[in-house]
Amino acid sequence: MTQIMNNETGPLSEEYIDRVRTLAQTIDSGNTDEAARLLDELTSLREKTLFQELGRLTREFHEALQSFRLDSRIASLAAQDFPDARERLNYVVSMTAQSANRTMTAVEESMPLCDSLEERATGLKQEWSRFTQRKMSADEFRDLSRRLGEFLDGVNDDAPRLRANLQEVLMAQDFQDLTGQIIHRVVQLVDEVESNLVELIRISGQGLVAERQDEQPEDRIAASGPPVPGVDTGTVAGQDEVDDLLSSLGF
Amino acid sequence: MNKNIKILIVDDFSTMRRIIKNLLRDLGFTNTSEADDGLTALPMLQSGNFELLVTDWNMPGMQGIDLLKAVRADPNLAHLPVLMVTAEQKKEQIIEAAKAGVNGYIVKPFTAQTLKEKLEKIFERIEASQ
Repeated sequence: MTQIMNNETGPLSEEYIDRVRTLAQTIDSGNTDEAARLLDELTSLREKTLFQELGRLTREFHEALQSFRLDSRIASLAAQDFPDARERLNYVVSMTAQSANRTMTAVEESMPLCDSLEERATGLKQEWSRFTQRKMSADEFRDLSRRLGEFLDGVNDDAPRLRANLQEVLMAQDFQDLTGQIIHRVVQLVDEVESNLVELIRISGQGLVAERQDEQPEDRIAASGPPVPGVDTGTVAGQDEVDDLLSSLGF
Repeated sequence: MNKNIKILIVDDFSTMRRIIKNLLRDLGFTNTSEADDGLTALPMLQSGNFELLVTDWNMPGMQGIDLLKAVRADPNLAHLPVLMVTAEQKKEQIIEAAKAGVNGYIVKPFTAQTLKEKLEKIFERIEASQ
């Protein structure tokens, strides 16, 4: 009896011990009527504690379920925040695409300018070295001088265009700040959903945890996009490791 | 190395296609076409006399690995050199691509130099086998 009560309600209270002692003394003295009465008292005391505990648990459970059901935040997560997050992420995709295109347009425009500058400079350099070696006639020098003038005019025109294109590349990076803020907001939403899910699992008991073993093992071949450091495992750390792996396979 | 060969670039992101196209042009390859996934790429390959396929892995519709397998399974395309340019970099995936007969594997983000090296390696091997 002592052992059972210990397991169910913790250490035996003074109240119980006193009553059990009185009961034992009453039985020893042969007063069976009084002993039966004391035994009834003990039983009802025990039941009262159990019912109180059960009542407390029921009330807590009810309140938890009720508060979870009444939490309008969950409803608004599903109805509003998720579609909202989807829109925000789509906006991130379009902003980054726009930025990439702005940058590439500027670069595509600048490349031919660089090529042309280099080509003209190379031609003039050869002419110039002929001049410094005094291998050039006066007529040829007049021609070189005219072309040098044209080249310098060209540099004066091209340099500001290159500068403007570089400026454009710089400004096209403004997406990082904006998309970063948007993504942070979505991460906050995911955090909130996570803590709500954890709460739901806590309330509904451990049943869900036991079923986890039925989950499908991860398909290691299926495409999963860029690996994220600290999240994805079993990935190579860059091109060198890809090359090593392939050469170990006979490539 | 023949710079006039016809190259098909397959990636679902137009920005990545544009980057690869620009890099190839800098290397002297100007005869390029584009497709946004395996399903659009395969008919183009079957009718287009392409001499090199540069493909991403993760795409809607038909993925790059399945495109590679389809190419190897088609008698007319079986010998087409395939260069994979992808963010997928699990060891199992690289091995899978190697088994499927990929000719080169570049992980994103990559440099112009890497693309150049892998292309040269592919063409060296082709020339050596001829």
